[in-house]
Amino acid sequence: MRRARLRAPVAGLSVIAVVVVVLSACGSSGGDGTTASGASTGAGTTASSSEKAVKMALVLPCGSSDPWCNQGYNAAQKLKSEGAVDLRVTTSAPQDTAGASQVIRQYAQSGEDLVIAYSTWPDATNPVGEKFPDVNFATFGIKPTKNVALFDEPIYQGAYLAGMLAGGITKSNVISGAAGQDVPLCHAEMQAFEAGAKRTNPKVKQLTTYLGDWNDVAKSQQAINGQISQGSDVVLACGGAQANGMIQAIKQHNVSGFGYVSDQSSSAPKNIVGTVIYDPYPYLKKMAEDTTAGTFQPAKTYSFGLKEGGVKLQLNPQYSAAEIPPKVKTEMEKVQQEIMDGSFEVPYVPTGNGS
Amino acid sequence: MDWSAIFGGSGLTVLFSSAILLAMPTALAALGETVAERAGVLNLGLEGMMLSGAMGAFLGAYYTDSPVVGALCGVTVGVLVGALMAFLSVTLKTEQVINGIAIVLFAQGITAFLFEKLFGGSEQPTIPDIPDLKIPLLGDIPGVGKVLFDQNALLYASGVIAVGVWLLLMRTRFGLSIRAVGESPQAADAAAVNVSRIRWRALLICGGMAGLGGTVLVIGNLNLFQPNVTAGRGWVAIALVIFGRWNPLLVFGGTFLFGFTDALQVQVRAVSGGTSTDVPYELFQALPYLITLAVLVIATVFARRSAQPSALGIPFRKEASR
Repeated sequence: MRRARLRAPVAGLSVIAVVVVVLSACGSSGGDGTTASGASTGAGTTASSSEKAVKMALVLPCGSSDPWCNQGYNAAQKLKSEGAVDLRVTTSAPQDTAGASQVIRQYAQSGEDLVIAYSTWPDATNPVGEKFPDVNFATFGIKPTKNVALFDEPIYQGAYLAGMLAGGITKSNVISGAAGQDVPLCHAEMQAFEAGAKRTNPKVKQLTTYLGDWNDVAKSQQAINGQISQGSDVVLACGGAQANGMIQAIKQHNVSGFGYVSDQSSSAPKNIVGTVIYDPYPYLKKMAEDTTAGTFQPAKTYSFGLKEGGVKLQLNPQYSAAEIPPKVKTEMEKVQQEIMDGSFEVPYVPTGNGS
Repeated sequence: MDWSAIFGGSGLTVLFSSAILLAMPTALAALGETVAERAGVLNLGLEGMMLSGAMGAFLGAYYTDSPVVGALCGVTVGVLVGALMAFLSVTLKTEQVINGIAIVLFAQGITAFLFEKLFGGSEQPTIPDIPDLKIPLLGDIPGVGKVLFDQNALLYASGVIAVGVWLLLMRTRFGLSIRAVGESPQAADAAAVNVSRIRWRALLICGGMAGLGGTVLVIGNLNLFQPNVTAGRGWVAIALVIFGRWNPLLVFGGTFLFGFTDALQVQVRAVSGGTSTDVPYELFQALPYLITLAVLVIATVFARRSAQPSALGIPFRKEASR
């Protein structure tokens, strides 16, 4: 037993050491098998497919099959396949400021040209940006800094169009929305959905729930069940877990819903009317180009709305056409055109009620 | 705000069904934790066991298209992680708190990693739904029937297993050994109880229950997996064990109180929700924790003695070996 007692702490420590090593490998994954272990994978690597390719790192807050992260991941992969970037990806990065900041810092340290912090992470990104003035960063937020650019969030424009359809589809005159957190992206999306619905159906009432959690699918599903029990028959989600919860809830109760960010039609072909698609591809492409040209700094907010292909409402061809009144659909298409040619602007309400 | 929408007949049915779905995974894990802690092992790895179980269940059901196989996989994976905890904490006698936290971090990393490797870049994979099983006659009772007797088969099984664990811990010789080992391992050892073996088994049961909790979450409720799908339920379960004063019935009841409050706050916000959030939703979100904390404080103040197993968290070493 004495030997066992001596051995025990050593064995425990070595187990923990193994765990830490495995974890640091797990923090990063994705198709490229790249690691986020910082200096060790440092600036010396010259695996570039072309000399001009921008070394881009993508930090995702979720797995790459999550509706939100899937779009960022695929856009970056597309850019990579075009030879525009050398790509390194971290999926399921810690969502908290300190944790995210660490991953972003490791990429900045290891000699990336452009680090994309693909979440609302200004608090995590800006301090790193100050420390690495030569590296370009991009994230979501309110105000760009010298080298931290921003993605704008035009999802609300698509949500307005979705709302117009929802106003026509609803039979109960109750629609609803479920969002992870009350962040500007979701708030504006929910507001625009309601405004759009009221345009085609002034009697519509919208129930909106902010869950306070981006991960909890079960609770999102229960919240949406609750909304449906209150009569809601068209649901919009904002957030990956919320979208996944919505899919289950609308299938179970056979009501309609709109997908979030990446096309979710195939998950519930009978229930998904369409998806408000957010496509970061034009953003990433422009950011990479600006990095090559040296015009990235001073950083700005990159903006690609409905007109520029950053967002669109993609209808699900399998959704029963009989459910959407033709008049409403025509009107929606008219408004879509008006947004594109600039004669109509969807009100952007990132906080409060906007009135 | 229309309160009858929540507490009216159909509102209540929704509320209780929702509470059961939200509470069951946590309740199962909490029962498992009760067994482990009554045996004297503070298992902080519960969240990791649930998450691993959830992933095992998902993969099993995904690749075989059979929820039954999925459920078995979920429980098995939970038991395996329980065995890891037992090996570290009982066989190697290393610090239990650190083992537990390491297991959670490990599970979060490995499940996210595997999921990414298997499904990365593709659309959200899902598993087939299992239909609700309505029990004849009982399921027709107004109100209660819909809530209790018109759920999916896995929830019934969970209920039966929960009762089984209670019986096992409080009414059998093996349960007595578990409790003895947690209170006074020296005395139990003197009475020829093999302390290590009992603690090993308690941790295997704990792992299995946590795995079952993860399984119930994934199969028959969500039908999908995503990294961190358990969303902290394991930690809540550990707190609820303390709340329930290590008594399986109180723990089980406490979990449903928590689940009910959680469902209630979700429901209140669903019903009242305009797009504006006049009352901060963070406040509602804190409600289940506040109520549980209040009950915990009251229970502790009124309790005549501490219910915590005396040997909780202390590795057992035979005196004779010195």
